[in-house]
Amino acid sequence: MVDIALGDYFAPLRSLFETVAEFESSIALRESQYMMPWVFVFHVVSMCMFAGTILMMDLRLLGIGYMKTPFSQVQRKLFPWQMAAMLFSTATGLALVWGNPLNYVTNIIFWVKMLAMGIAGVNALAFHFITEYTLVDWDAGQTPPLGAKLAGAISIVLWGNVVIAGRLMPYALTWFRE
Amino acid sequence: MEQLAVDIAAWPVSRAINESSWIFALVQAFHLLSLAFLAGAVLMVDLRLLGKGFSNQPTATVARDARPWLLGSIVAMVLTGIPQFISLAPKEYESTYFRWKMLLLLVVLIYTFTIKRLVAYAPEGRFGGGVSAVVALVSIGLWASIAINGRLIGFFGV
Repeated sequence: MVDIALGDYFAPLRSLFETVAEFESSIALRESQYMMPWVFVFHVVSMCMFAGTILMMDLRLLGIGYMKTPFSQVQRKLFPWQMAAMLFSTATGLALVWGNPLNYVTNIIFWVKMLAMGIAGVNALAFHFITEYTLVDWDAGQTPPLGAKLAGAISIVLWGNVVIAGRLMPYALTWFRE
Repeated sequence: MEQLAVDIAAWPVSRAINESSWIFALVQAFHLLSLAFLAGAVLMVDLRLLGKGFSNQPTATVARDARPWLLGSIVAMVLTGIPQFISLAPKEYESTYFRWKMLLLLVVLIYTFTIKRLVAYAPEGRFGGGVSAVVALVSIGLWASIAINGRLIGFFGV
């Protein structure tokens, strides 16, 4: 067991999460026998739709997948599905934390996941506002520029991290001290 | 069969996986990551069949591009699924969700490499939009129910 006293770092957040834990809606979620497992199930399914379509777009950015289709087509056609899946997995993810806030506030793997999601968001925006301006030059080409490859690689690493961290979260209590 | 499951779980490798606090966890994590890649590769073709993705490309082109990622992620799923099964064989064997998952997996693999393949690789326009949409929805439904049963093994089955 690795000795990381996370409780100290998250003391201010802890009181917020404790407040949520006392809400009737949080108690009801926590105490219902079937609600949480099904929220988990829908979180996993929507996550797969979201991460899956993001990863396929990243393969195109890296220049190693779907090279017969211009990048702009991949992006435009997948975008509404990515957004719908993201909404669904965010809603189910919030419900999971809402129902068991104290399980998450001192869970280091949970915060690694949140951080990776934040950086992935910044990476997507950076690509949108910087690299995408040059899109006309490489949209249908077989070798995307370094900026595009970098955005794709960073995105795969970060979203891969999010998926892996999500699955490892329950083990945090075995691996690290709170 | 029941005795076989007990024997499998008694293999040194099965016990090593089960007794380690991190091997099993990492295998589960990479199983889920492979599932995300698989979902992506499946959706690329299914969304195209639904007429909602890559409508400027023939479905066969998209299917050919998705193929290595589909096959690769299926292999990764199996490779990360086997260690989980052998380390918990008797419990998995008894789980209704595990049995459903395996049955659905067999069905979806046969479906993907016969009916869906036939429709996806057909010359553009051979099958109507309705047929393509049904083929895609059945594929999405089957894969989703495999993921759902897989997740439920952990909650209720084992």
